[in-house]
Amino acid sequence: MAAGTIREEDGRPTWLCRKIHGILLDISGVLYNSGGDGGSTIPGSVEAVEKLKAAGYKVRFCTNEDQCTRQGLVDKLGNLGFNLSASEILSPCPIGRKLIEERKLRPYLLIHPSGLLEFNGLDCNEPNCVLIGGAEELFTYENMNGAFRVLLDSDDPVLMATGYGRYYKSGSDLKLDIGPFTKALEFACDVKAEIIGKPAASFFLGALEDINISPEDVSIEAVMIGDDIVSDVGGAQACNIRGVQVRTGKFRTQDEKHPTVKPDGYVDNLAAAVDLILKYN
Amino acid sequence: MAAKIRGVLIDLSGTIHIENTVIPGSIQALKRLRQTGVAIRFVTNTTKESKDTLLKRLTNIGFDIKAEEVFTSLTAARRLVDHRQLRPLLLLGSDAQQDFKGVDVSSPNAVVVGLAPDCFDYEMLNKAFRLLLDGCPLIAIHKVRYYKRGDGLALGPGPFVTALEFASDVKAEVVGKPQPSFFAHALSEMGCDMQSTIMIGDDARDDIGGAEAIGIKGFLVQTGKYRDGDENRLEKPPFAVCRDFAAAVEQICTML
Repeated sequence: MAAGTIREEDGRPTWLCRKIHGILLDISGVLYNSGGDGGSTIPGSVEAVEKLKAAGYKVRFCTNEDQCTRQGLVDKLGNLGFNLSASEILSPCPIGRKLIEERKLRPYLLIHPSGLLEFNGLDCNEPNCVLIGGAEELFTYENMNGAFRVLLDSDDPVLMATGYGRYYKSGSDLKLDIGPFTKALEFACDVKAEIIGKPAASFFLGALEDINISPEDVSIEAVMIGDDIVSDVGGAQACNIRGVQVRTGKFRTQDEKHPTVKPDGYVDNLAAAVDLILKYN
Repeated sequence: MAAKIRGVLIDLSGTIHIENTVIPGSIQALKRLRQTGVAIRFVTNTTKESKDTLLKRLTNIGFDIKAEEVFTSLTAARRLVDHRQLRPLLLLGSDAQQDFKGVDVSSPNAVVVGLAPDCFDYEMLNKAFRLLLDGCPLIAIHKVRYYKRGDGLALGPGPFVTALEFASDVKAEVVGKPQPSFFAHALSEMGCDMQSTIMIGDDARDDIGGAEAIGIKGFLVQTGKYRDGDENRLEKPPFAVCRDFAAAVEQICTML
């Protein structure tokens, strides 16, 4: 038996056969469902987060949320009963800002007005790169054209995207996510976007670093729990993080037959996942 | 040795005219080509103009072209919609919609995408996306990446078709050039086979590459969107490269 492997016993899910120390949680679709007026808590999730923290686990909230600042998200979740701090949240806008500053770029920002606050003070004159996020109604033809021209005019076009999701659920509707618009610009300009949120490896590796887990370990002692089979589960697994699929949020039964991504485990919701962790880990 | 030429397919914009300007010598050359008795069809990837508007424009600048000789990507889409009795959501400019007059568009069960800057917004794209997710087919007039407009280059339908394909995992059926079915339909109307047909156009990829791929002889003209070296960017070199349409006709007359 390999070192660190725990003997199987009744009811122990395979994703808990090895000890975990770090826990990465998606927010939308795991803690709460977005939509309408602030969204609604997924039953049991508030208590589940409290229990994990009380048990001493290192928890990070990994989100591709780019339509508000981290503090805005903390406040929104606070209204739903969650007690989080901005430093526990990893989201793509602050990561994008850091990359832009490091490379001394001037971005054309095609993102939601509330997400723009994370970029306050950056020089956006004569842009030489594009950062695209969940712009929703701002995905107009002219705004897309603006991004297209920046890329076309650049010798070495840089296109960053906060995510590559295809669609998401808002209220009872499915809506186009960033992925299709990113794909449109990639196709128009023959460029490859740099994804800065999930499922990019850089995002997950950054999250591990944040909780002091070495990404060199072949059997990383961390699990990612999310509702998106590709972005959450597949992205985590590509970094040797165990990926667990919740059957809440955008989950659809077809996801269980996904052609390429097989989660390490399924749980009905976050509360069920946390009960298993507290019982078997 | 070579098959006798019996039919000629001719691109419009960039080959015999640019907007309201005749490419010099084209009117005379077309007359000369008609006198030889070869079958002629005009094949074009229309983006925002209906066939009526296009014909009016060509007639106004002095061309003698009949409606039944013109094959556009919009009319190809219309044919497909009629044939399968689809009720399309039309992401098309208002003039292009003229080619879909009389089509039932209530409770849509298909999506047709052309060049429609006014329709390429979040709400309309979401509407199209939801239909695709429900299993409706996606029909693309063509997948051009960008085009030239007054203030510079602007996104064509291609990027938005790609966006919808990616979001819904539905592959678009492209109806315009360079689709083999588009050329094949024009050929069957002319009663010609591939070997005895020539395609004249300024778009190396869509006109010449598309035609050569199914055995039609491609004549690339150095007008319109042609840029130096375009002929070298093709997998298979064009059958001929000509200065303009008039030069192409001159060469063809020696092959009859």
